Amino acid sequence: MAETQIDERLKSDYEAGFVTDIESETLPPGLNQEVIEFISNKKNEPDWLLEWRLRAYEQWREMQEPQWAHVHYPKVDFDALSYYSAPKGVGEGPKSLDEVDPELLRTYEKLGIPLHEQEVLAGVAVDAVFDSVSVTTTFREKLHEAGVIFCPISEAVHEYPELIKTYLGSVVPQRDNFYAALNSAVFSDGSFVYIPKGVRCPMELSTYFRINEAKTGQFERTLIIADEGSYVSYLEGCTAPMRDENQLHAAVVELVALKDAEIKYSTVQNWYPGDSEGKGGIYNFVTKRGVCHDNAKISWTQVETGSAVTWKYPSVVLRGDNSTGEFYSVALTNNYQQADTGTKMIHMGKNTSSTIVSKGISAGKSQNAYRGLVRMGPNAENARNYTQCDSMLIGDACGAHTFPYIESKNPSAVVEHEASTSKVSEDQLYLCRQRGLDPEKAVSLIVNGFCKEVFRELPMEFAVEAGKLLEVSLEGSVG
Amino acid sequence: MLSIKDLHASVSGKEILKGLSLEVKPGEVHAIMGPNGSGKSTLGHVLSGRDNYEATSGSVEFLGKDLLAMEDIEERAREGLFLAFQYPVEIPGVSNMEFLKASVDAVREHRGEEPMDSIQFMKLAREKCKAVNLDDKFLKRGVNEGFSGGEKKRNELMQMMLLEPKLAILDETDSGLDIDALQVVAEGVNAMRNKERSFVLVTHYQRLLDYIQPDVVHVLADGRIVKTGDKNLALELEEKGYGWIEQEVA
Amino acid sequence: MSDFAEAAVALSPQNSPGWLGELQQQGRNEWQVTPLPTRKTEAWKYTSLHPLSSGDFLRWAPAKNKFTDVNRLRPFYAIEGLDAARLVFINGHFNAALSSSDFAEGLEVLRFAEADEAQRQVIQESLGSIADRSEHPFAALNDSWIEEGLFIRVAANTRIDKPLHVIYLTTEQAEAFSVQQRLFVELESGAELSLIEHFASTEEAQNSFTNALTELRLQANARLHHYRLQLEEEQALHIGGVHVDLQRDALYDGFHLGLGGRLKRIDVVVNHNGSGAHCDLNGVYLPRHEQHIDYHTCIEHRVPHCTTEENFRGIIGERARAVFNGRIHIHKDAQKTNAQLNNRNLLTSREAEIDTKPELEIYADDVQCAHGATIAQLEEKSLYYLQSRGIARREAEVMLSFGFINELINRVNEPALQDYLRPILSELFVEDAR
Repeated sequence: MAETQIDERLKSDYEAGFVTDIESETLPPGLNQEVIEFISNKKNEPDWLLEWRLRAYEQWREMQEPQWAHVHYPKVDFDALSYYSAPKGVGEGPKSLDEVDPELLRTYEKLGIPLHEQEVLAGVAVDAVFDSVSVTTTFREKLHEAGVIFCPISEAVHEYPELIKTYLGSVVPQRDNFYAALNSAVFSDGSFVYIPKGVRCPMELSTYFRINEAKTGQFERTLIIADEGSYVSYLEGCTAPMRDENQLHAAVVELVALKDAEIKYSTVQNWYPGDSEGKGGIYNFVTKRGVCHDNAKISWTQVETGSAVTWKYPSVVLRGDNSTGEFYSVALTNNYQQADTGTKMIHMGKNTSSTIVSKGISAGKSQNAYRGLVRMGPNAENARNYTQCDSMLIGDACGAHTFPYIESKNPSAVVEHEASTSKVSEDQLYLCRQRGLDPEKAVSLIVNGFCKEVFRELPMEFAVEAGKLLEVSLEGSVG
Repeated sequence: MLSIKDLHASVSGKEILKGLSLEVKPGEVHAIMGPNGSGKSTLGHVLSGRDNYEATSGSVEFLGKDLLAMEDIEERAREGLFLAFQYPVEIPGVSNMEFLKASVDAVREHRGEEPMDSIQFMKLAREKCKAVNLDDKFLKRGVNEGFSGGEKKRNELMQMMLLEPKLAILDETDSGLDIDALQVVAEGVNAMRNKERSFVLVTHYQRLLDYIQPDVVHVLADGRIVKTGDKNLALELEEKGYGWIEQEVA
Repeated sequence: MSDFAEAAVALSPQNSPGWLGELQQQGRNEWQVTPLPTRKTEAWKYTSLHPLSSGDFLRWAPAKNKFTDVNRLRPFYAIEGLDAARLVFINGHFNAALSSSDFAEGLEVLRFAEADEAQRQVIQESLGSIADRSEHPFAALNDSWIEEGLFIRVAANTRIDKPLHVIYLTTEQAEAFSVQQRLFVELESGAELSLIEHFASTEEAQNSFTNALTELRLQANARLHHYRLQLEEEQALHIGGVHVDLQRDALYDGFHLGLGGRLKRIDVVVNHNGSGAHCDLNGVYLPRHEQHIDYHTCIEHRVPHCTTEENFRGIIGERARAVFNGRIHIHKDAQKTNAQLNNRNLLTSREAEIDTKPELEIYADDVQCAHGATIAQLEEKSLYYLQSRGIARREAEVMLSFGFINELINRVNEPALQDYLRPILSELFVEDAR
C-alpha cells in the first residue's frame, strides 16, 4: 500500500494526492431526515439547530441544481454520497494534540502544515479540518488572551450559542441556492471566528481543509464575525487525495464585518483537479459571501488551481455607507478542468466602493469563465466600481470566457469594466529562451507576471506558495 | 569560435541566406553591413535557432560543436551565444530583475555553477545598470515594459553583461540611438572585449564603428557575403552607399 | 404569456396554399416547441414580454388606409436632402404610390408578391438561411406569419450610388395590429450598397407591434452600409432581428439607432463566415419616460483573420431602462481574430436603470479581444469648463450629452442622414433638460 502511494506521488504533479490510511467512521451513502438527525445528534446539537437543518433540507428538496454556469459534468447522485465521515477517535469534543491520531498529524506534516505549535510558522494559528470534522486548533491560548475566538463551529454552537443564533445564515440564507441549502442541512464542521470590538487579531488565522475519505461530500461551514473596529486576516488552504471518482465539496462561508471592521480572506485552493484525462477530481460548489456595515471592508483574495469543476463567487454586500469590497482572483485551469468563478459586488450604501481584479489562465483542454455581478442600488450615491478581467490562453484547445453583469439604478454611481485576452506570445518565449530559460520556466515567469496584481494581495508565505502552485499546475501545458 | 560554411537558410519557406560563409576567431569583432533585406537579421535568428528560421544546407560550428544540431534556442544560449534583439519584446508584469536572475541561474546551472544568491545578484545587476547608464529602477519594471527604444537597447546590453556570453551578436543595436546612447553601447561592448569573447555587429550605419573598432568588416548582399575588408571598407560604404557593391557583384 | 404563444399559432395563416406555406409551417412548428422566453431565460433576463401578453396585437391592419391623401404621411419619414430610392410600407402593406418604381442598374428589388416561379425558388432558398430560428423565437413567429416582404439583390461588382431607403410606417388604427416585416438582401461578390431601414410612425399611432426580421448576405468583398433607425412613437412594440452573413473580405458597416418604447428589443447577429471579413457596428439607444429598450448583439467569429469593432452608447433618462448585451464569440478555428467592443452609458435620472453585459467567449488562443463597459455621468470637469465660458449648466449638459452621441453619429456615411438625425436627437436632450 505504502509503496504504491509513493509511486503515485512520484508520477504525479499533484503533490497532495496521497490517501491517509486511517480508520474512519463514515455514514452509509444517502440523504434523508435520519442522516441529518444523526449528524446533529453526533454533535450533540441543541434542538433549534436541528430544526434549522431540517428546514434547509425541506427547501433543498424542492430546489434545482443551477444550470446556467459554463460548466458541464455528469449529474451528481446525491444519494450515492456519504454525508458524514470522521477519523475515529476525534468524533466528539475538544481535545489536546496528544490525543490526535499520529497518522493524522503526519498527514498535515506531509502537506506542510505542522500542527505542533512549537513548529508552526510564528504568527499563524491553524484549524485543521479533516473530512467532516475539525482535528485541532492551534494557538488557542494566545488568541484567547486577545479575546479572539477561533474554534470549530461545532464547538461554538455550545460555547457561544447567541453569536451562532444571530449570525448563522444571516449572510447566506438557507435557501440562497441549491448547494447552500444542502450545506445548511448537512454541514458538519468548519471554523468559527469572533474578533471583539476594536481588536486587531494578533496573528493570521488559518484553516486547512482536507478531504480524505472516498465517496464523501465535504460540507464545511465557516462563520467569521469582526466586531466594530476590529481586524482579522484569515487564510484557507485545501487539498484532497487523488481518486478516480469525483468528490463533492459544497461549503458555505459567511463573513460579517460590523462598523469600521476589516476582514481579509485569502484562499489557496488546490483540491485535486482530476488526472490529465479528466478523470476524478473535486466538484467545488461553494457559496462565499460577506456583509459590510458602515466603513467596513471585506477583501477576498483567491488563487485557485484545483478542482475538476469550480462554481464559486465570493461576494460582498456593501450594506453600510462608505464600505469597501475587494476581489482579487487568479483562476488557473489545465487539462479538463472547468471553472465558472467570479464575484458579486452589491452596492447598497452611499459612497461604497469595490474593486475586482480577475486573472484567468486557461491551458490544456480546460474552460475558464469569469462571471461577475456589479449592482448599484438606488441608494448607492457616489458608489464606485472598477473591474479588470484579464484572460490568458495557453494553447489552442482551451477556452476563456467573460460574463460580467452590470446593473445600475443610481445616476451618481460610476462603473468601469475592462476585459482583455492575451496569450503567451511566441516573441516573448523566444526572448526568454534566447536568454537561456527553458520554455516551461519562461511560461511560468510570464504567468506569474500576469498574476502579480493578485499575488501582491496575499500574505507573504501564501504568495510564494501560490507562485509555486501555478508552476506545478502548468506542467506539461507547453511544448 | 564561429565557423559558418556555405549556409543556406529560409524563413517560413523563403530562402534568405544563399551560401553565406563566415569565420570568426576568439577575441575578434566582426561587423556585418548591408542594405535592407540583405539577410542581416536573418543570420542572427538562424544562429540563435528561432522557429521558422531554417538552415537548409551548409554548416555552423560554434566552439567546436555543431550549432545547427542543437535543437533548442535555450541550449544555444546556454552554450554562450547571445543575440541582442533589434526589437526587444515587452513582457508585462515580469520584472526585469526576476527575469535576469532566472536567466543567469539557468546559464550558470548549465556551466555547472551554483546559482548566485539574491543579494549578490542584486548588487551585480545594479552595477551593470550603472555601466549602461540605466537607472536601477528599471530592474523593478516589467521586462522592456514601456521602455523607450534607447532604454530597450541598453537593457539588452545590460543582459549581455550579466550573462557574459562567448559570442554576442548585436542586431542593429545602434539603430535609433542618439549619439550619447551610442557611446554608452560602444563603451559597454569595448569593456567586454577580451581574448576569448567575440562579437558580430550587425549594423546599417558606419558610425557605430567609429566607437567600436572592428577587426573585420563584411558586406552582406542578397544572402551572401560579397566583400570583406578592414574598417576602411565601412568608411567607403558610408561614402559611396551600397550601390557600387551591388554593381560590382553583378 | 402562453396566451400569446397560442394565439400566435391559432391566428397565423393556416394551410396557406401559397408558395410560402412551407416556411409558415416550419415557423409554426418551431414556435410551438420553443417555450416563449421568460425572465428566467438568460437572453431575456432584463426584458419582459408582458406588454404582448394579451395577444391583442395578433391581427393584420386593414390594407386600406384611412388617409386618402397618402402624401400627408411623407413628413413622418422623409429625410431632407437624401437622394435615395424609396420603398414604403404602411402598417405592413406595400404602398406603390409612395415608392420608387425604377432602380439603378444592378439593383434588383423584388416584392415576394410579385415573384415569378424562378424568383420564388431563390427567395425560398434564401429566407431563414441566415437567421437561426431555434435561437430566436420571434424569427420563427415571423416565418409563421410571413406573407409579404422584400428581396433585394445587387449584382456582382456593382456599386449602387443612391442609398435605398426602406420605410416601415405605422399609423393610427382602431384596433391593435401586427407588422411582420421581412427583408432579405443579397450583395453579390464585390457589390456595394447603402441601406436605410427606417421604422417610423405618425403622431397619433399607438397600437402597433412590429416583428421585424432582416437577413443580409454579403458575398466575397461586398460592402454594405446599413442604417437601422427605430424612431417610432413610444407606445409601439418592436422586436427586431438583424442577421448578417459575411463571406470573405466582406464589410458590414452597421449603425443602429433606437428610441425607447413600451417594449423594444433588437438582436443583431453578425456571422464572420469568410476570412478577412470586417464588421463595424455602432449603435445608440436613448430611452426616456417609462420606456424600455434592449439591444442584444452577437458577433460570431467562425473563421480566422476577421475583425470587429463595436461601439454602443446610451443615455437613459427619467424612469427608463436600457439593456445592452454585447457578445463576442470566437470559435475554435478563428485564430488571428481582432475584436473590440465598447459600451458606454450615461444615467441621467434617479429612477433610470441600465443593465449591461459585455461577454467574451473565446476558444482560440491567438486572438486579440477586449471589451469595456462604463456607466458614468457627464464629466464634471467638462461641465465646469463650459460653464466657465459662460454657458448655463443645463445647456452645458445638453451639449455634452449630445456630444457623447454625436461621436457615433459622425461615423454615419450619409451626410443627409446625419443632418436628419442631429436635430431629432438634440431636441430630445433639450426636452429632457426642461
